[in-house]
Amino acid sequence: MKPTLTVCPYCGTGCMFHLLRDESGRLSGVEPSGAHPVSRGQLCVKGWNAHAFVAHPDRLTTPLIRRNGRLEAAGWDEALELVHRRLRQLADDHGSDSLMFLSSAKVSNEENYLLMKLARAGFGTNNVDHCARLCHSSTVTGLVETLGSGAMTNSIGCFDQTDLVLVIGSNTTEQHPLIGSRILQAVQNGTRLIVADSRKIRLSRHADLHLRQRNGSDVALLNGIIRQIIEEGLEDRAFIETRTENYPALKAAVEPYTPQRTAELTGLDAEQIIAAARMFAQADKAMLVYAMGITQHSHGVDNVRAVSNLALLTCNLGRPGTGVNPLRGQNNVQGACDMGALPDVYSGYQKVADPAMRTKFSNAWGVPLPSSPGLMSTHAIDAAVAGTLKGFFILGENPLLSDANQAHVRQALENLEFMVTVDIFMTETCELADVVLPASCYAEKDGTFTSTERRVQRGRTAVDPPGEARTDWQILTHLLRRCGLPAAYADPGQIMEEIAALTPSYGGISYQRLDLDGLCWPCPDSSHPGTPILHQQQCTRGKGHFSPVSYKPAKEEPDAEYPLLFSTGRTYFHWHTGSMTRRSHLLDREERRAFAELNPQDAERLGIGDRQTIRISSRRGTIEVSAEITERVPPGQVFAPFHFAEGAANVLTNNALDPESGIPEFKVCAVRVEAL
Amino acid sequence: MKHMQRAELDSLLTHVAQSYRLLVPQRLEDGTRLLRPWGEGELVLSGEPVQRKPTEYFLPQLDPLLKIDTAGGVQLATVPETPLCLFGLNRADLQCLGFVDRFCAFPPQDDAYAVKRQNGLLIGLTGYCGPDGQLLPLTDGRCDIELIALADGWLAQAFTDIGSALLAEFNDIDPETLGTIRSLSEKRIAEERATLEQAARIVQQELVPDDFWREIGDRCILCSGCNLVCPTCTCFCVQDRTDQGGTERSRVWDSCQFDGFMREASGHNPLGSEALRTRRRIHHKLAADVERWGEISCFLCGRCDKTCPTGIGIQAVAAEIVKRFSTN
Ligand code: SF4
Ligand code: SF4
Ligand code: SF4
Repeated sequence: MKPTLTVCPYCGTGCMFHLLRDESGRLSGVEPSGAHPVSRGQLCVKGWNAHAFVAHPDRLTTPLIRRNGRLEAAGWDEALELVHRRLRQLADDHGSDSLMFLSSAKVSNEENYLLMKLARAGFGTNNVDHCARLCHSSTVTGLVETLGSGAMTNSIGCFDQTDLVLVIGSNTTEQHPLIGSRILQAVQNGTRLIVADSRKIRLSRHADLHLRQRNGSDVALLNGIIRQIIEEGLEDRAFIETRTENYPALKAAVEPYTPQRTAELTGLDAEQIIAAARMFAQADKAMLVYAMGITQHSHGVDNVRAVSNLALLTCNLGRPGTGVNPLRGQNNVQGACDMGALPDVYSGYQKVADPAMRTKFSNAWGVPLPSSPGLMSTHAIDAAVAGTLKGFFILGENPLLSDANQAHVRQALENLEFMVTVDIFMTETCELADVVLPASCYAEKDGTFTSTERRVQRGRTAVDPPGEARTDWQILTHLLRRCGLPAAYADPGQIMEEIAALTPSYGGISYQRLDLDGLCWPCPDSSHPGTPILHQQQCTRGKGHFSPVSYKPAKEEPDAEYPLLFSTGRTYFHWHTGSMTRRSHLLDREERRAFAELNPQDAERLGIGDRQTIRISSRRGTIEVSAEITERVPPGQVFAPFHFAEGAANVLTNNALDPESGIPEFKVCAVRVEAL
Repeated sequence: MKHMQRAELDSLLTHVAQSYRLLVPQRLEDGTRLLRPWGEGELVLSGEPVQRKPTEYFLPQLDPLLKIDTAGGVQLATVPETPLCLFGLNRADLQCLGFVDRFCAFPPQDDAYAVKRQNGLLIGLTGYCGPDGQLLPLTDGRCDIELIALADGWLAQAFTDIGSALLAEFNDIDPETLGTIRSLSEKRIAEERATLEQAARIVQQELVPDDFWREIGDRCILCSGCNLVCPTCTCFCVQDRTDQGGTERSRVWDSCQFDGFMREASGHNPLGSEALRTRRRIHHKLAADVERWGEISCFLCGRCDKTCPTGIGIQAVAAEIVKRFSTN
């Protein structure tokens, strides 16, 4: 049994464990790191089973090239030559911006950096993005505006020190289990808990207050709470005075959100809103925790602004046990953003539109760089449908299952002239590709991953990739060289040296320093200890900016034809499009089939029994899944996870986008349910 | 009773390593204490218990059982020829192993366990070698050799013929050297077990109401860690994987905290709520096993309380049961 210390490949909590290899060299289990500050000898079920998919027989082991309509095995040289030649040809014929590069929150920082370098320096386009577009793009946009940094402000250890946690739109015990468990432990020790979520999630069983606001009414709820705090004089005047700006505008904007009006908009009682305001404002240290329930709306950025406003109003920023704490989903979604796998910034959020930044990167990479921001991934799908986008390079993502409105995405991908995917399994998206390159999974490579608390940690190689599969960084290095760029990295540590030299917030990060527990950025130089808590003396942008917002309804609300509200999310046992967890025996056994949660009242009215197959239809499509009759969802609401290709929730979802962040409205659309 | 210094201890282990695959406590780079091959790293002779449960070596998390090739031929998993020696286990771990040995040997024997376990050697390590030099209670003899750490070396006693033979060449010492360790040990064990035993009586008498189990179950995030780390938990499920070469059947650790553990093909689940499953986890150790095997199947190794992210390991639950439902 040989242990290799590495980072969990699932959620952004950032647990570390030892992958165990048995005498025959295969991965035989997982042992949590005993001393790691986040894991502390503990893991959630996905962590405990993180070895299980690695050696699955379905792993891709050889490059595949489409010939006569079929994907056939090919050699690496041939495949890489083809990828480079076709992408180059499209760029020459239609311009660099006819290409799109989709990076991944599942690959390392080094790999994200190389992919954005490939797009920008190799092919001359800023069309690079990744799945943060679908999860926390609203956070990045909103918090950069209000605080100056789009990341979780505080650290996971803060949950042990806080007086109150307000969880809004995060099913924390299922999606960030080892953060959820900290909240549960804190509650045992007297911390108060407010849960604002339409579903009866596990945390709500432990909450002092459970607010089941209507999906899509978060701005109204938060504005109502803010107004009530001001009404009762519970705001922190000294903090507002010295550390913030634009307070009068906030005050004016929340004025219409009286408890009664807020109650009408949210479906709550006025008393609940008043009680929440008092409880929140009276806590000396309160943490605001949110996730997709806030961000995945056509007004996701407004939701984030409202959360930030509440923190600023009550001085819950820059101190231990406080903060605006967006929980980042994927194990490296924070890092993928940090590395500039985004259309408008290089690594460290340095803007491509800023000539000084452009010169800096251009000098470092030795090529001129494009100046206008590129396409967001969701807009790239639209551009592919329109025919202006011709080539797609997809690293470790499965948009056909993960993006809103599957028919639209399929049309986009089928419309492309050339698509290459780099993946570890034959996903639904790979089935449509012209070239599929077999990659290594987390257990088969070195690289760093940045967790939700901005902790940069080292993943390490435990086993070799299967067959001819290669690490993503090696694949990208080959392509960079074919583009004529120097890319003689001996190992990912050398890539990190380049990142550190170009990225102020990672300036002090090196493999030697990261060794065990990692470092929280900003870490500007080699003697800097890292920054577990942001915005301590002042906000990154200077003053905290109040950004007033007003309630806007969802783009599509239930009506006579489609009378039920539909929202999507994940379950505890599966991960995203299921390519890893559905190939992990225990996780798959726990949840084997596509299902949707339906309230008993609706079920009775529709004559639907538990586990009966139902048909759910929206304006965009129809799926058949098994009904789970449960009080977890309120009457009038249906919830389905998006893990299952055979009952894909994203067939139904609405690709209405937030105008600023480009995030789709996964949390609200209208559907009809029928018994089959 | 024998006495040895560090050099003699090393020579004992070197000798053992000639005929066994010897695993000894070492620290990994992150501080985690695990059993690792002798000679590959520094031997760490004191500290908290080794983190991975000792039954892992005979019933691993992924345990290949057999392979069926495309022609239908069946090949059983090969077993290393050299038997295993685990060195450095404490009293609780040895008791757990002893419990599982008996369980797996009970007809029909668990062959996959037996072939890995047979001819194995267990060397316990007790005495003043806990965290910060605290006393670790003496074993109850469920090992071949027990080494007892003192300030000036180790006392060694054998409980089997193989153990005696291995110790033959070392210097005899008056058993009185043990001094008060035995009585201190017994006192410690009695204190440590008092709450658990009291909780066991309460559970056996069915004095714990359903509401309590619901309350504890509400706090379970279904990580399964409590079962996976428990040395007396042995439940597994069966995984089949097919590739071009045939089908491989393995068993993998399972957990009774999962819905799927007892779910029937119909979808019905006789243990269909977290409250029922939490009750089962505790009840099995404190009541069912007592009925079946005559002893509580928790030896307080401490692992489930450390690994449970929400603080409902067996000791925490036992303490709560005693606090709330004790009749005296
Ligand atoms: S909480 Fe997240 S990081 Fe930790 S083990 Fe679970 S999935 Fe992995
Ligand atoms: S303390 Fe927990 S893990 Fe250890 S034997 Fe008892 S029940 Fe099992
Ligand atoms: S360790 Fe705790 S949270 Fe995990 S399954 Fe066991 S009781 Fe539940």
